[in-house]
Amino acid sequence: MSQDQGKTEVKPMKIDDILQRDVWDVDLEPHITVDSSKCEKCPTKPCLYLCPAGCYILAGEKVVFSYEGCVECGTCRVICPMNAITWHYPKSGRGIMYRFT
Amino acid sequence: MKIVLGIKWVPNTQAVRFDPKTGTLIREGVPSIVNPHDLDATEFALQLKDKFGGRITAVSMAPPAAIMGLQHVIGMGVDDGILASDRAFAGADTLATSYVLAKVIEKIGGVDLVVFGQETIDSSTAHIGAQVASWLKLPYVYYVEKLVNYDEKKKEIAFLRKLEDREEVYRIKLPAVISVAMHSQKPRPVRMSYKIMAKLENPIQIWTNKEMGLDPRCIGLKGSPTIVGGITWTPEVPRKKEVFQGDPKEAVKWLIDKLKEEGVIPF
Amino acid sequence: MYLNYLHWVEKSIYIYKKLIPPCGVYVLDVKNKWDVIIVGAGPAGSAAGYMLAKKGFNVLILERGRQPGYKELFGGRVYAEPLREIYGNDLEKAPIHRWVKREKLSFVDGSKLVSIEYQSDTSTSFTTYLPQLARWMADKAGEAGALLVEEVTVDRIIYKDGKVIGVGSGSDEVYADLVIDAEGVNRLLLEGLGLVVKLQPEQVAVGAKETIKLGEDKINERFGLNKEEGMAWLLMGGITDYIPGGAFIYTNKDSVSIGLVLHLGHAIKEVKDHISQMVEKLRLHPQLRNLWIDGDIMEYGGHLTPEAGPAMMPKKLALNGFLITGDAGGLLLNVGYTIRGVDFAAYTGYLAAKAAIEAHDKGGFTEQNLKAYESMLKNSFVYKDLTRLTGMQDLYNDPGMFKALPKLAVGTAANVFEIDLETPGVWNSFNKARRNAGLGLLSLAWKGYRLMKKM
Repeated sequence: MSQDQGKTEVKPMKIDDILQRDVWDVDLEPHITVDSSKCEKCPTKPCLYLCPAGCYILAGEKVVFSYEGCVECGTCRVICPMNAITWHYPKSGRGIMYRFT
Repeated sequence: MKIVLGIKWVPNTQAVRFDPKTGTLIREGVPSIVNPHDLDATEFALQLKDKFGGRITAVSMAPPAAIMGLQHVIGMGVDDGILASDRAFAGADTLATSYVLAKVIEKIGGVDLVVFGQETIDSSTAHIGAQVASWLKLPYVYYVEKLVNYDEKKKEIAFLRKLEDREEVYRIKLPAVISVAMHSQKPRPVRMSYKIMAKLENPIQIWTNKEMGLDPRCIGLKGSPTIVGGITWTPEVPRKKEVFQGDPKEAVKWLIDKLKEEGVIPF
Repeated sequence: MYLNYLHWVEKSIYIYKKLIPPCGVYVLDVKNKWDVIIVGAGPAGSAAGYMLAKKGFNVLILERGRQPGYKELFGGRVYAEPLREIYGNDLEKAPIHRWVKREKLSFVDGSKLVSIEYQSDTSTSFTTYLPQLARWMADKAGEAGALLVEEVTVDRIIYKDGKVIGVGSGSDEVYADLVIDAEGVNRLLLEGLGLVVKLQPEQVAVGAKETIKLGEDKINERFGLNKEEGMAWLLMGGITDYIPGGAFIYTNKDSVSIGLVLHLGHAIKEVKDHISQMVEKLRLHPQLRNLWIDGDIMEYGGHLTPEAGPAMMPKKLALNGFLITGDAGGLLLNVGYTIRGVDFAAYTGYLAAKAAIEAHDKGGFTEQNLKAYESMLKNSFVYKDLTRLTGMQDLYNDPGMFKALPKLAVGTAANVFEIDLETPGVWNSFNKARRNAGLGLLSLAWKGYRLMKKM
């Protein structure tokens, strides 16, 4: 933790910085799995833009997924053109904890 | 085996932010969780119970909201819980806390094994296990990773602990106190039937100092010799936010060069 | 058969022992059977639980979050009347932030915007944080006698011999005479049951939102509000890059909720920016940012919302021993200028409870008896509003609605107000803007007519 962490900047903040405001108790196992072999063939990759938590990012040519910052909205499952996503809710009350939404 | 499991209900430290304007911590709406390292301890205790039977009682010293934490571990399979909760206990450091917990364990009586997590995420002292063992004059093994064996008749138990350069096996007589190494277990999820029981049977008792009858000089703020001198902040190092686009192999090379440049890695 | 029976008895007694409390407040029969199990402690589930527990049913509400509300997100405003029908005067004790007395609708084109504002002494809606409201509603159900159990993710509905008999989570099952599905928009359970197919992008919209802490006084000053008065502000056009949907601004007690909703059917083709960056553009919009420039983002989140109206509803909302409520049933209304989710959800939960009580009086929770729920819905404001919405889908697919209209409105205003030498006439300004927006007079009249009809 640092002193500057609380600042909301007057320029567009990156999703990673915005997400610092949220709270998770991250599940011990991923609640979403992505078949990345299917992503390679995906022409549009809408997950890169429409996952509100930015869980899908492009590294080189590859779609890289991380579940830790997921807000459990389900958008990726609905929009994935390749049906590459196996999607569940986290267990044991884990995952995102919204307070002011 | 009669097991007592110590848990702490801690603020989710990942969510605590610092307000640069007022110089205070922003605690509004910060949810608490069971100290994650205590879930390793919970899993360890549950495995002992799975193997040898018996009963696990979770104990905690905290304000009443910590009932949620006890319900969580009961949801995982712990049998019942005791919450030591009293205004007189408030403001305690580790010494006063461990004193109350030791007295709770004494009052439960007939306990074979007391299991703690390695440390808590909100204070990281790792004191409680050792202090409780001292109060109770019991043997204490910490950084426990695995059960080696348990001789029920002799009440002899052996644990393995891993250090940086070696593994050690401790064979001790019960009753004893252990703390389980963080990240050493895979805590099981909450089960619906247990969680319903946790809410329905009301298996959690609250013990105030009326029940406990402890000397006021030994508990709470009065019983706490620790003084927090102040908190200073590490200076802010602005992030450079450099991004490398392209081939992962080249990215690794680029990253190593950058880290060398910054003196993060020496070679 | 006999062995099966024995096994069943053994299992039941085991569960029975586990479930009977020493104080005996809850008296369950040996089958570990509840009268009603409700999946989800959101507005729909908690409203249903409240009504049923009040009537004396043994109600179990299962919630996957650690607390009710932890998984919930909405725009920011709730219409009060449906909730008042459920909770009566108790509603005044709900966590209400501000009563909406100023409504604003803006068309945005680039950095310019044209707004219509409506101010009133009376109010029919309030702003709040949904996690707070959901917590309150769940507590109401609890006070009425329902048992709320958190941290339980239900993963299946148990359907046997033509009826729903309970729910499962991992290796555990619990049974009930009636299961009410209030699982929310993603409706994995309904999919598992084969009642619906997987959601399609055309059926839902994604919402993303920031809550910005600002302080009560600053909000009152900057938005021109008295104490406890709120503003609801909807924006269309360039603010979503002309993707069908819209942006919203709501004033809470000491914070502002800002965000946007994108129709996924369009967004998958038209999105150019990460959705969080679109929210940031809203936060930093030159005409808006000064309202909250010194505020601090407290929280950010995203959620899906049903968009397709009746087209998203399962074929049946009632089966033997089973009712579907809230977002899971597609029972949410979004007509651009009005978004109704929480009050609709709560009201469908309320109607489901009413139908269940009637069915119980008639002799049981059979599909025949529970069907009254569907007719109650059809006769309620919920369904009437929903069917009116059906045609809005066509409007969404008409690029004119979300692109040309905002351009027309802003263009007209710009022509009228930005004066170089000669004062322009309104009609000329309008026509100039209309041509720039690429709209013929006839097509515009037709669009206008259709829009008015739907509204």
